[in-house]
Amino acid sequence: MRCIRALLVVACAFGSVPALLGTPAVAQGLPQNIPRKELLILENPEGTVKNAGWFNIWTINAGSQSNGLQQAALDTLWYIDPESGLDGVWDNSLASDKPQYNADFTEMTVKLRSGIFWSDGVEFTADDVVSTVTTQIKNPAMRFSAVLASNVASVDAPDAHTVVFKLKKPNSRFHANFTVRWGAVWILPKHVFDKVDDPVKFDFNKPISLGAYVLHSYDPDGKWYIWQLREDWQRTTLARFGKPGPKYLAYVDPGPPEKRVIAQLNHELDVIHDIAPEGMFALAKQSRTTRAWFKGFPYGHPDPTLPAVIFNTQNENFKNPDVRWALALLIDIKAVAMAAYRGAATISAIGVPPTGTHPATYHGPMGEWLGAFEIDTGKRRIKPYDPTIGKQIADMLRPAMGDQIPSGPAEIARAFGMGWWKTDPQAAQELLEKAGFSKRGGAWLTPDGKPFSVRVMVEGDLRPVMTRAGTMIVQLWKQAGIDARIDVAQGTLPTRRAAGDFDTFIGWSVETWGGHQDLSYFLDSWHSQFVAEPGKPQPLRNWQRWSNPALDGIIEQIRTVGFDDPKSIELGKEYVKLAVKEMPTIPLMAYNVFTAMDQTYWTGFPTSENPYTNPVPNWGNSRYMFVKLKPAN
Amino acid sequence: MSGITGAAMSGYLAYVGRRLGQFLLVVFIGINIAYVVTHASPVDPVEQSISAVTSYGSTAPEAIEQMRNSLRELYGLGGNPVEQYFQFWKRILRADFGPSLSAFPTPVGTLIGRALPWTVGLLAVSTIVAWGLGNLLGGLAGYYRQSRGLKLMGVIAMGLHPIPYYILAMLLLIVFGFLWPVLPISGGSAMNLPQTLTPEFVLSVLRHAILPALSLILIGVGSWFLGMRALVSNVLAEDFVVYAELAGVRPWRILTAYVMRNALVPQVTGLAMSLGGIFNGAVITEKVFGYPGLGSLLVDAVYAGDYGLVLGVTTISILGVSIGVLAIDLLYPLLDPRVKIS
Repeated sequence: MRCIRALLVVACAFGSVPALLGTPAVAQGLPQNIPRKELLILENPEGTVKNAGWFNIWTINAGSQSNGLQQAALDTLWYIDPESGLDGVWDNSLASDKPQYNADFTEMTVKLRSGIFWSDGVEFTADDVVSTVTTQIKNPAMRFSAVLASNVASVDAPDAHTVVFKLKKPNSRFHANFTVRWGAVWILPKHVFDKVDDPVKFDFNKPISLGAYVLHSYDPDGKWYIWQLREDWQRTTLARFGKPGPKYLAYVDPGPPEKRVIAQLNHELDVIHDIAPEGMFALAKQSRTTRAWFKGFPYGHPDPTLPAVIFNTQNENFKNPDVRWALALLIDIKAVAMAAYRGAATISAIGVPPTGTHPATYHGPMGEWLGAFEIDTGKRRIKPYDPTIGKQIADMLRPAMGDQIPSGPAEIARAFGMGWWKTDPQAAQELLEKAGFSKRGGAWLTPDGKPFSVRVMVEGDLRPVMTRAGTMIVQLWKQAGIDARIDVAQGTLPTRRAAGDFDTFIGWSVETWGGHQDLSYFLDSWHSQFVAEPGKPQPLRNWQRWSNPALDGIIEQIRTVGFDDPKSIELGKEYVKLAVKEMPTIPLMAYNVFTAMDQTYWTGFPTSENPYTNPVPNWGNSRYMFVKLKPAN
Repeated sequence: MSGITGAAMSGYLAYVGRRLGQFLLVVFIGINIAYVVTHASPVDPVEQSISAVTSYGSTAPEAIEQMRNSLRELYGLGGNPVEQYFQFWKRILRADFGPSLSAFPTPVGTLIGRALPWTVGLLAVSTIVAWGLGNLLGGLAGYYRQSRGLKLMGVIAMGLHPIPYYILAMLLLIVFGFLWPVLPISGGSAMNLPQTLTPEFVLSVLRHAILPALSLILIGVGSWFLGMRALVSNVLAEDFVVYAELAGVRPWRILTAYVMRNALVPQVTGLAMSLGGIFNGAVITEKVFGYPGLGSLLVDAVYAGDYGLVLGVTTISILGVSIGVLAIDLLYPLLDPRVKIS
């Protein structure tokens, strides 16, 4: 009894600590002195920003980008939305019209909006655009210096609202540098940077805004940033869509996944950037106010990014497309989807992410071609495509998830993807034999008699979903007699990826605009002119170091047609066909981002039913969300 | 008398000189090992920076090589390794760790200076509280072996000690942050509160430190408690304790002046080591509770290949541990008469 009394005393003493400190029993993690109903709290996935007081985004990797700086305070010429956009996918932001190229794409003229002002009252003009280019070209250590210097011969402002770029060589996609897809070349304030001796060492604190918000306060330790709606928000480009709902935005580091769930359940975090599938399932179960991109399973927003098995095609074992195809046919994509995302994955058989406009442009229309596509195993011809795999995943999940799993074919295709390659160990064996491999004692040997060893590089707990996918693929390959091993690179992956120090890795070399069907965003970098020699660092994004004359031909043709030219779609389909035949990477699924939105204080978040923008809050494009958000009752 | 004192003093000074020499050697070797290990890291800071910049942007491939060269020049990665090594020591002797490569051009010293007060504040206080509480309770438990309350403390200490720290920290988070949300679960102070010495800010810092400090103290107390209880049990069997009891010295005096004072000596060494070690930061505490500090700074720097920052934090840590041990070694002969200077 005395012991119990003692325990109660201890418990009371513990409990009285917060009481003595005058702590209310709710709302522990909210900014002080800001009305909650005027505040939107979003996760900054960069976490704690170690150089918190640095706002010069034009330097390389010096400070934060997605602490609200690029979403709320900066602006540039155009935005392309990964979803449908508020007024079309391609939004003229500081530009008043689309870029005007001359016939051979060596000159680009941009007309600018008038009546747009920096937050210090200075009017935005063409001089700011010219200064953005010339300042960076003059300073090679600035972030966009190299790309501008390699493209721009001269830039001039014939009047306050016109900019003319003369290019060093034809480039029909030069405007892409000034078009936000996550980020872009942001316009800098000439009147500020003109007074700076060394722009590389200038912290730009306190930042001058061109966006609708200004910096209100920030944590010197980098845990949070608060932005306030400009009083003159009507003099910004976002005002075309109305007044932004939240008066304040807080971008915070909410900590590990468990804490993000707790914070949202406590209504102290309105938008979680991303969370493990299990966290999303917990929120869906426990919170009546949490909403994800899809109302039910699979919840996550498919990013216009395509995780894949990326081969090092300069490695002797992976030079032959038959070997790459054999490894693809050993994969059971349903098992991989379950391992990686607990089934909440949107699969893709082709080298284009199954998101935005792409299913309607590529996946759907190419279904017939995929169904008829054949490969020669050396002993027979097979048709490897199975258009029902998305449905099979839905059927597999339905007993456990019930009504959350859609039943209509269109909804299933949107949520889980369309088809993928049939698992076919027999065809894989025939393909390996065709490539000169042999099987002895249940283990595969390469043509020169060595064990067929495949390392699958993953990032470990830095990217758990991809690690789980890689682990499942290793298991499937091992079952077939291949000496497959997981290779956890953790933070060394970018270094090893660039150096070509891998057999295969789980990652992506395909990223697209999502909302726009043009594929040059990633495809141009796949031209063989950029493929490094073995041992030399590979520039982005052709990490597979794949070169192919037919691909070069397609890319060169795309370079000669306009961004909106329907011919670029046809050329895009040619790329897809070539990539299917050659299989330089094994496409797996979209990178589903489990963005969780709490509707306790705000409503009007983008969803699959109202896909006006990407909900993922670190994208510059997420600024369109602010004008659609309304206070909840 | 003065002759004896003078001889003892001169012996002590010789000991201090030798010990200082060892200290400098240990620090020199430690920093060199840290230098070699960080420079042998497979992570290339230039590639990490390029990856961070280009992960989302539409940078053209032809621009990458140009960017790579600019960064190598900017980060000072040119020159041969010998030149780099001597440059490093020149800077170290001026207490200058150069710029952080992952937050260029901010000096490493600025980043460390920002994180250090949080780490020292949280870890020094929780280490000292855990040490004091653990030793006091452990000493009492070892001496008053029949006390039911102290036996219960022993059970609790043994129960807490093996719990993995992360589990205990998450348990505290769930209890005080979700089930009974009375304490802040993230950050060093409330959002939108200027970091000035106002009562509001100080109170906020204290409130935010409760959970991380409690987690460290609960784990730390168990370890000190068990150690002290065992030490006291050993000292109780010493002749001088038996004689004191036979001579009728009061139990409280025996406990404080005879038993605990002697049992504390190894515990003081442990405290000095622990206090020296706080400069490593407490990575898990900082991550779980979102608390600012050196630990997260160090981990992020390792991932980014920012060896300037890694070397800065490890050098401070090497100095912290070495100074802690040096201080104890120098103080022992003065504090404990059983330690003789030969």
